[in-house]
Amino acid sequence: MRLAGMAAKTASVIGIGQTDWPADHARVRAGQKPHDSYGYAAEAFVAALADAGISRADVDGLIVGPTVAYERVGELLGLDVRWGGQADAMLAVLEACMAINAGQAEVVALIYGNDQRSAAVNYGGADAQGGSAFLSYIYHAPWGFTSQGALYALMARRYMQERGMSEAELAEVAVAQRLAASRNPQALMRKPITVEDYLASPYICEPLHLFDYCLINDGGVALIIAEASKAKRIGRAPVPIHGIGRYDLNTGATSLEPRLTDFYQPAQQAVGEQVFSMASLGPSDMDALQIYDSFSLHIPLALEGYGYCKTGEAGKFMREHGISLARGLPVNTGGGHLSESYMQGWNHQIEAVRQVRGEAGERQVPECRHVHYSSDVAGKAVSIIYGQ
Amino acid sequence: MANSQRVLSLYDLPLWDSMERQKMALPRCSHCERFRYPPGPICAECSSMDYEWTEISGEGTILSWVVFHRQYFEDYPQPYNVIAVRLAEGPIVVSNLVGEEPQGSWIDRPVSITYRRHLDRTQHAFKLKAADTNS
Ligand SMILES: [Zn+2]
Repeated sequence: MRLAGMAAKTASVIGIGQTDWPADHARVRAGQKPHDSYGYAAEAFVAALADAGISRADVDGLIVGPTVAYERVGELLGLDVRWGGQADAMLAVLEACMAINAGQAEVVALIYGNDQRSAAVNYGGADAQGGSAFLSYIYHAPWGFTSQGALYALMARRYMQERGMSEAELAEVAVAQRLAASRNPQALMRKPITVEDYLASPYICEPLHLFDYCLINDGGVALIIAEASKAKRIGRAPVPIHGIGRYDLNTGATSLEPRLTDFYQPAQQAVGEQVFSMASLGPSDMDALQIYDSFSLHIPLALEGYGYCKTGEAGKFMREHGISLARGLPVNTGGGHLSESYMQGWNHQIEAVRQVRGEAGERQVPECRHVHYSSDVAGKAVSIIYGQ
Repeated sequence: MANSQRVLSLYDLPLWDSMERQKMALPRCSHCERFRYPPGPICAECSSMDYEWTEISGEGTILSWVVFHRQYFEDYPQPYNVIAVRLAEGPIVVSNLVGEEPQGSWIDRPVSITYRRHLDRTQHAFKLKAADTNS
């Protein structure tokens, strides 16, 4: 297998932007509607341009998130471009890298906005989101099986028995990320919790507790990614992308085969080979991890899948070694989807950039040189390594 | 809140008809004999598009289970269980365990198919195999 289709550090992040998640969340909870998805996207884009210190005219590529229409975003922002597309957070970064590598664009704006909270979007029940892309989200509804949380609960139950992980060990995820959020002024949930708090919290879909579930809030995120040499010329603090990788498990997806038999591990192992080979780095070189965490279970799956611990030892690793800013290998240093903001992987990208820049304030990981981002949504594994 | 609904693609209709007759059938590849679930037009193993609707044995084992403590559908007040069953024929189906529930872990418990009337449809459910209920 040809592992790396492009050289490391071909593209760099030169700008990041976000909306004010806690302020908007407070307004939405008070019954107001600060923006729709386009307004959040626009605000994040303006912030990312300012952070990069470039002008709109420098942008020649545009990729938008799944919740907004590509043309309308371009129209609103006045962006006529020579390359464009639509993708989720992780694939947006991969596609921007590929467009730059292919010479199709030099400076790509990646823009996401989502009014899911104020628009009362449902991720379970008769109008569950995502069914048109993932049949498993809706196919088992006649048996009452709905919500992405339930898919992970079913996976968690088997994983806990097969691989040996207790509820108290899984609690380490929610506890560690809440600690990170307590040091992050842009996190929504900042009150620290303990393993005991976790165990005392209600089940939503047993064995998963309330604290295993992501938040639902409004907001936007944007990144500017530029060709590496151009990034050095125009960027304030470019953060090169050292590696990217992807592997999709599609066979048996609706009958939950990849979830319930191998817990997505073959996909993560394949991606690990690609991304670490491209970056000429390994798990021991990573100073922090950002892991897509719609549910806490993603964290032990990634720790095992990418070789941060042995298969069957993620529970022990989290309990004994630690995955927090206080000890061990810091995971989701901004609080992630569980405690910071549910920006569907987009907040993880800008947190990785901040950590590598050394601009993460109270939650800064000391001497943070490399950050590994991983996601495994519905068995589609993606990795990105950001570094100095 | 609304009731739960079926996905009824062209290939799902014969499946639901078979459950209505309480003889659940799945498409079985005419070439390599692999069963398809959900039903579909082609074999993911050998790419053959030929198949016959074949009644399943109804035997299986529980792969995993959950208990819902939140209501999402009008017709499913909480709490209720959902199980994943590995059918003897190979595929995994998502269903409900009816009747007696096991003590301790449900995983690897042998189950057999039964049918229940739900709203305007007949659908599969599973019950513990008799020999296992007291073990
Ligand atoms: Zn076949």
